[in-house]
Amino acid sequence: MTTTSTIVMPGERITAIEELAKSKRVILGPGLRRQDETVVASKAGPLRHKEPSTFWVDNYQRRYIPARGDQVLGIVRSKAGDLYRVDIGAADTASISYLAFEAATKKNRPDLNPGDLIYARVLNASADIEPELVCVNSVGKRGKLGVLAEGFFFKCSLNLGRMLLRENCPVLAALTRELPYEIAVGVNGRIWLKAHSLRETIALANAIVALEQSGYAEIDKICDNLGDFLQA
Amino acid sequence: MFMNSNLFEPGKSKPERNFVQLAVKQNQRFDGRRSNDCRDVVLTFGADWGTVAVSLGDTKVLTHVTCDLGAPTTSRPNEGKLQLNVNLGGVAFLDEVQTTHDQRSLTLNSLLERTFRSSRCVDLESLCVAAEQHVWCIRVDINVLNHDGNLYDASTIATLAALMHFRRPDVTFADDELRIYTEKEREFIPLLFLHYPVSVTYCIYKSSGQPIVDPTLLEENAADSVIVLSFNSYQELCTLNAGGTAPTNVRTIMQCARNAATRAKAIVDFIRKALSMDEERRLQGSRLIQGLVGLIGETAHKLSFRKLMGQQNQELQAPINEKMEVDNKPIAKPEVEEVKTKEESSKQETDIPMDSSSWLPQDEDSQELPTPSEASSSKAGKGKQNRSKSKGTKKKLPKKQDHSDSEEEAKQVI
Repeated sequence: MTTTSTIVMPGERITAIEELAKSKRVILGPGLRRQDETVVASKAGPLRHKEPSTFWVDNYQRRYIPARGDQVLGIVRSKAGDLYRVDIGAADTASISYLAFEAATKKNRPDLNPGDLIYARVLNASADIEPELVCVNSVGKRGKLGVLAEGFFFKCSLNLGRMLLRENCPVLAALTRELPYEIAVGVNGRIWLKAHSLRETIALANAIVALEQSGYAEIDKICDNLGDFLQA
Repeated sequence: MFMNSNLFEPGKSKPERNFVQLAVKQNQRFDGRRSNDCRDVVLTFGADWGTVAVSLGDTKVLTHVTCDLGAPTTSRPNEGKLQLNVNLGGVAFLDEVQTTHDQRSLTLNSLLERTFRSSRCVDLESLCVAAEQHVWCIRVDINVLNHDGNLYDASTIATLAALMHFRRPDVTFADDELRIYTEKEREFIPLLFLHYPVSVTYCIYKSSGQPIVDPTLLEENAADSVIVLSFNSYQELCTLNAGGTAPTNVRTIMQCARNAATRAKAIVDFIRKALSMDEERRLQGSRLIQGLVGLIGETAHKLSFRKLMGQQNQELQAPINEKMEVDNKPIAKPEVEEVKTKEESSKQETDIPMDSSSWLPQDEDSQELPTPSEASSSKAGKGKQNRSKSKGTKKKLPKKQDHSDSEEEAKQVI
């Protein structure tokens, strides 16, 4: 991924992509839109490019828009029949069936109550129906998904969540050098964290929140002295 | 400007709540404060009289005072009107249902009403132009711009500062004709105050006996009960609002009250100091802040509590800390009795002048409280009497709180 970024504005025509599209297939990510033969940005932010030909706009956003396959953190709101309503930070609450947990049967329901935190995957996301979540993979195993007990939970911008989830993200590696911890990052900008002690958890959470609004370029620099954040 | 760290309300999930409970138990707070540390209060005065923006950490409140001539009510024909208008619309509680949102603004409104209107802090009689005909109607608009906990304190500070900053035009009434003077003709007149109330909020958790002051939204949502105490600068109680489910004993409330009284006094001193600095700026004719963006932006002339009161604050803070620590110690039974008698002895003394001069400053009384030597010496001889007495106070004290809560007048507690 290139770190040099051009800032695009909504409505701006991006000719560079159009040029490339003449010779090969181009994948347009979020924030870009094709209008007949032209490519137009629909969000404001730095234009990102991933080899060979994927483009998207990395705009600053807090509202999560569900997409299939995303792993998200949600808070259980209520029980409704054989469904749980889960708040995942989207415009609509998501639903998860009680059968969508590992080893759950009609007799053996999972014990979830309002206020519980779950790490789930988005199974179904469409603009017109409410998103559906699952806590198992295709072979019925829970993997990393499921209820998150204890620990601390906080919310951040979607960018920060995405940044932490990036492959070879320097932040988590830098933090690992300082302290052992468990973390679950949702693409919906929610982070669950657990360290050995309360003080360590608070320090880690503060260190991560401090990264908010720092760009990709600065983050490597900041990571070098993340230890200072933890001391404070 | 970076406002709230998230769009959604924190403290609504179980892990958050458990974590905060645990943190309070270990006497730790998320922002590194101690349980009795407050966030910095920052005041910004606008170009118009009575426009003040207050920020308490990330909590931001903007108040604006306006005045208008109108007819008085028939029940109080010689008094002006004071109207408080809370608007929570600036905060997007997206995971809130409408009812709780309304409830929140109603609670805030009723608290402000009790603090400012029921305690009669503004001398409304001075706002009368002609009895039964024309009075000044003062309207305070409280706009909440961002909510990161402790909205009560932020709005009371903002309202008080705005009312103190506000000036109304002079007016004469002769031959059935009202004449309002412009600022050029006659100087504007500030409002008259009988006392200056400010609230202090405490959160109490089931996991720990130690209340925490000035909670953030996370702490407030995770709290079992929230206590709001309004004190004026003479350290008299104006409002007490205790709700929630955590069992709170009298000692905790008294301890909160004692600290809140000191804090309220410091805040009022700070507002006075900030007002005088603003006055100076106006006299010098330096550029005034125009518009909303200027007011809450980074370029505004900010008056910070820590900076202004830094010196005095440290002096004030030191004895409070000591007191809190003393109170914190796990105490044996006889000592509890001692505290009770202490409270009682001071109560007996305050009971007498309370009715006659409820507004007058009585500093001697507040100093009377921490005199353990006297209390213990009185305790020495009469063990049995004390026990019966302390039972009496136990019953008396909660009653008294109810009293001050519902009663529309400020009463002395310390």
